Amino acid sequence: MKIEFRVNGTPQAVGVDPSTPLLWVLRDHLGMTGTKFGCGMAQCGACTVHVNGSATRSCVIPIEAVANAEITTIEGLSPDSQHPLQRAWLELNVPQCGYCQAGMLMAAAALLQQIPQPSDADIDTYVTNICRCGTYPRVRAAIHRAASELAQTTQTTAGGSAR
Amino acid sequence: MNAQVSQSGRTVGQLSRRDFLITSAVVGGGLALSVVAPRSFAAPGASGGDAVELGAWLTIAPDDTILLRVPCPETGNGAMTFAALLITEELRGDWNKTRVECISLNRDARERLVYGAIDGSKVFSFGGRSTEPKLVALLQEIGATAREQLRVAAARRWRVPLEQVEARNSTLIHAPSQRTLRYGEVAADAAQVKLARAPKIERPHALSLLAERHVSKVVDAAIVNGTAQYGIDATAPGMIYGAVMQSPVHGGRLKRHDFEAIRSMPGVIGIAVIEPTTPKDRLKTPLAGDESLLQSAVVVVAEHYWQARKALEALPLEWDDGDGAKWRSTEQVRAAVRNELEREGEKIAKESGDALKALAGASKVVEATYETPYADQAPLEPLNAMALYTPERLEVWHSGSISAQSFIVAAEEAGLPFEKVHLHQCVVGGNFGRRNFGDDLRIVVATAKQFPGRPIKVIWSREEMMRQGRYRWLTAGKLRAALGDDGLPSALHARVCQTGYGIAGLDNVAYVNGLIPNVRIETREMPIHILWGSYRAPGYNSYAFFMESFIDECAEAAGMDPLEYRLKLLAKHSDPGWIKCLEEVAARAGWGKPLPRGQGQGIAISNWGNWVSQEPQAGTTVAVIAHVEVSRRGELRVLTLDLAFDCGRVLNRDAVLAQMQGGALFGMNMALNEELNIENGRIVEGNFDRYPMIKLADVPQINVHFGALTGHDRLSEVGEPPVGPVGPAIANAIYRATGKRIRSMPFRKHDLSWS
Repeated sequence: MKIEFRVNGTPQAVGVDPSTPLLWVLRDHLGMTGTKFGCGMAQCGACTVHVNGSATRSCVIPIEAVANAEITTIEGLSPDSQHPLQRAWLELNVPQCGYCQAGMLMAAAALLQQIPQPSDADIDTYVTNICRCGTYPRVRAAIHRAASELAQTTQTTAGGSAR
Repeated sequence: MNAQVSQSGRTVGQLSRRDFLITSAVVGGGLALSVVAPRSFAAPGASGGDAVELGAWLTIAPDDTILLRVPCPETGNGAMTFAALLITEELRGDWNKTRVECISLNRDARERLVYGAIDGSKVFSFGGRSTEPKLVALLQEIGATAREQLRVAAARRWRVPLEQVEARNSTLIHAPSQRTLRYGEVAADAAQVKLARAPKIERPHALSLLAERHVSKVVDAAIVNGTAQYGIDATAPGMIYGAVMQSPVHGGRLKRHDFEAIRSMPGVIGIAVIEPTTPKDRLKTPLAGDESLLQSAVVVVAEHYWQARKALEALPLEWDDGDGAKWRSTEQVRAAVRNELEREGEKIAKESGDALKALAGASKVVEATYETPYADQAPLEPLNAMALYTPERLEVWHSGSISAQSFIVAAEEAGLPFEKVHLHQCVVGGNFGRRNFGDDLRIVVATAKQFPGRPIKVIWSREEMMRQGRYRWLTAGKLRAALGDDGLPSALHARVCQTGYGIAGLDNVAYVNGLIPNVRIETREMPIHILWGSYRAPGYNSYAFFMESFIDECAEAAGMDPLEYRLKLLAKHSDPGWIKCLEEVAARAGWGKPLPRGQGQGIAISNWGNWVSQEPQAGTTVAVIAHVEVSRRGELRVLTLDLAFDCGRVLNRDAVLAQMQGGALFGMNMALNEELNIENGRIVEGNFDRYPMIKLADVPQINVHFGALTGHDRLSEVGEPPVGPVGPAIANAIYRATGKRIRSMPFRKHDLSWS
């Protein structure tokens, strides 16, 4: 029996062992390799995707648990790599090796959806991904930069509609 | 066909677009594909059809797209980008239309070492370092040569003197007649130009592009949208997967396995048993050791990776543990190493004056023993590789940090001539020394030989990777110093013992090279079965901790301030960078400012790289001041790390800053958290639950100060130097905060409570 779900808006149906982690379905069955394998036990967060909008570590969640769910991966974070976080990431030269960064970006994106103007403490709480290269100071700075850009965009939009 | 043809007669435009191309003809081994280009990274404006080759290192297309082929893969330190920038600076190329890829080792083999990478004659990019003086000169020359070829071609076309032709931003300008030509318009002519003499390097000390605009690393755009291709992301039609397990006790052997028990599991295709054999014909690799040799292993092969993993877990296995199992516990190894410190070392690494005599007659002696444990580099991309083997051709995909190492190891294991081996250099998901050897690639090639004609990708589990490391070995050192009337050491006697073969030792430390009059450093190596390799700044990552902690203890015994003590001791040092680093970091961090109880500052300074070169001011010196807070219950928080450094010159300031930040955090994690334990010969820790990593919430304020640069001619490396002094600076700060002297890593295991 096939398990159905949506990835980045596209319906998918895969016939796999229902205990297969979502991570490996994304990577091996759907060919979406942007989501990374780092530890296999939800420690590092390299595999972070959004399941119905919440940051989720896909290496430990069986595919049967996401039946009918809406999954967003790094490939679907924005249609044109222009998410404010992606832009801030490039402007501040955040990545070093870059392997953790897809998961880091997805965790940060989920945070900004929940808390548009996060404090440092919010970032500490919500973004618990491991970066072995030590890009943390820039990750923090880039999240703040994206948040303030989003706030300006919101203000501009609000001002525009008021007129 | 309208493609331009290069001097070598090959059409190159199409090849540069052949990212990860693989066809059924390739699988059959019948297609003599001349170059399988590694994936390239393009600026937005680059397309690059019908390009013309100006030497093997770069092509220029009619639409001005420049393709640069660089010898450094991207490991995270920006080496690939830096190499491209160095070429572009001299080429005077348009960065917006530049794409970058890695050189083809196969071409190096076929075209008589055109890149000088296989034999190391031109390129030996150790672990992806890009500031090697020889490499910098080579890259600048590549750019300058092409620039001169283009200028000559334009001068000939215009029939004007060469001096009147200026090259700028991929444009050739003849100012007197106000004529211009784009690089793409003269590239074909330029390719025919033979320069009479070596080109002038116009701007050896500049990267003007960085002053003009923001430059991201060339891979970053692909990283942030998930399209960067690491080794683990390689795909090919018909690809199958493998899950690997090596003898849990290093050096052990597979005794028995029962494939029948898993044969019918979903997706299972087969099993490869890897014998720990050494290739008959050893080839010369960039790194000459045996770190890549096969260990006894099994690889379960299945249609999908998860199926292979589950089947491997279900596979009945029995191992003959071998000799290594005699090491029952970490404590047993530590005791054996400490025991070795009680007898004279097997080697005298340094002797000047008569330290033993001076110590025997001294009135004030300081003595302390320090230890560092086994540690794993733990890059976040698990080890992996993909290989497609036929008796006529080997194609491999690998995220190794040294392309030539990967290439030669693959050829050696396949038993194929270089001409028949094709390496796809992938983006490297973290190195820190772990990806220098190609041990993962060798296992995958050995596996692929048992499944000829099928591309097979083997991925290590985190546990397999952490327990099958090439570790930072365990080290202990006993240091004794006699203090003179001025409080400074008049003699130093050190004995160190380590469970591996180090490269940088205590004898490289500045204090023992002319500053302390009587010195004796004895070393002993006590290798056990646990495999070792290179861990960010090998040797130094332990010895900086030993020496800088010990100097602090000497200052304490002398009743002197730790900063003043070091300044006094280093006053006669021939390298002015040390004093400058100390003064800079002390001024910036506010050394000695009043702090509440439970807080403290600690200082440390060390130099990495002086073992490579004995020239004055060799290597990079880093001074660190750590500011910590320890609660009464003993919870440690590092509040601030201030760093001042001297690497001579800086060309790419932001890249240097990134390495200083990352290196400081690496050093901090090493000191606070990292330890591997041994139980019945096996490594205990397998994942980040028991081998913890600092996270955002643990990260201190990091201030990197550029004011200590002495401006000497070198661009000494910056990735490893900060790893040394951070740990001892934190330990020294803990002492000031709590009165507790930490003499072994990891610090998290010590009771830091105070009252």
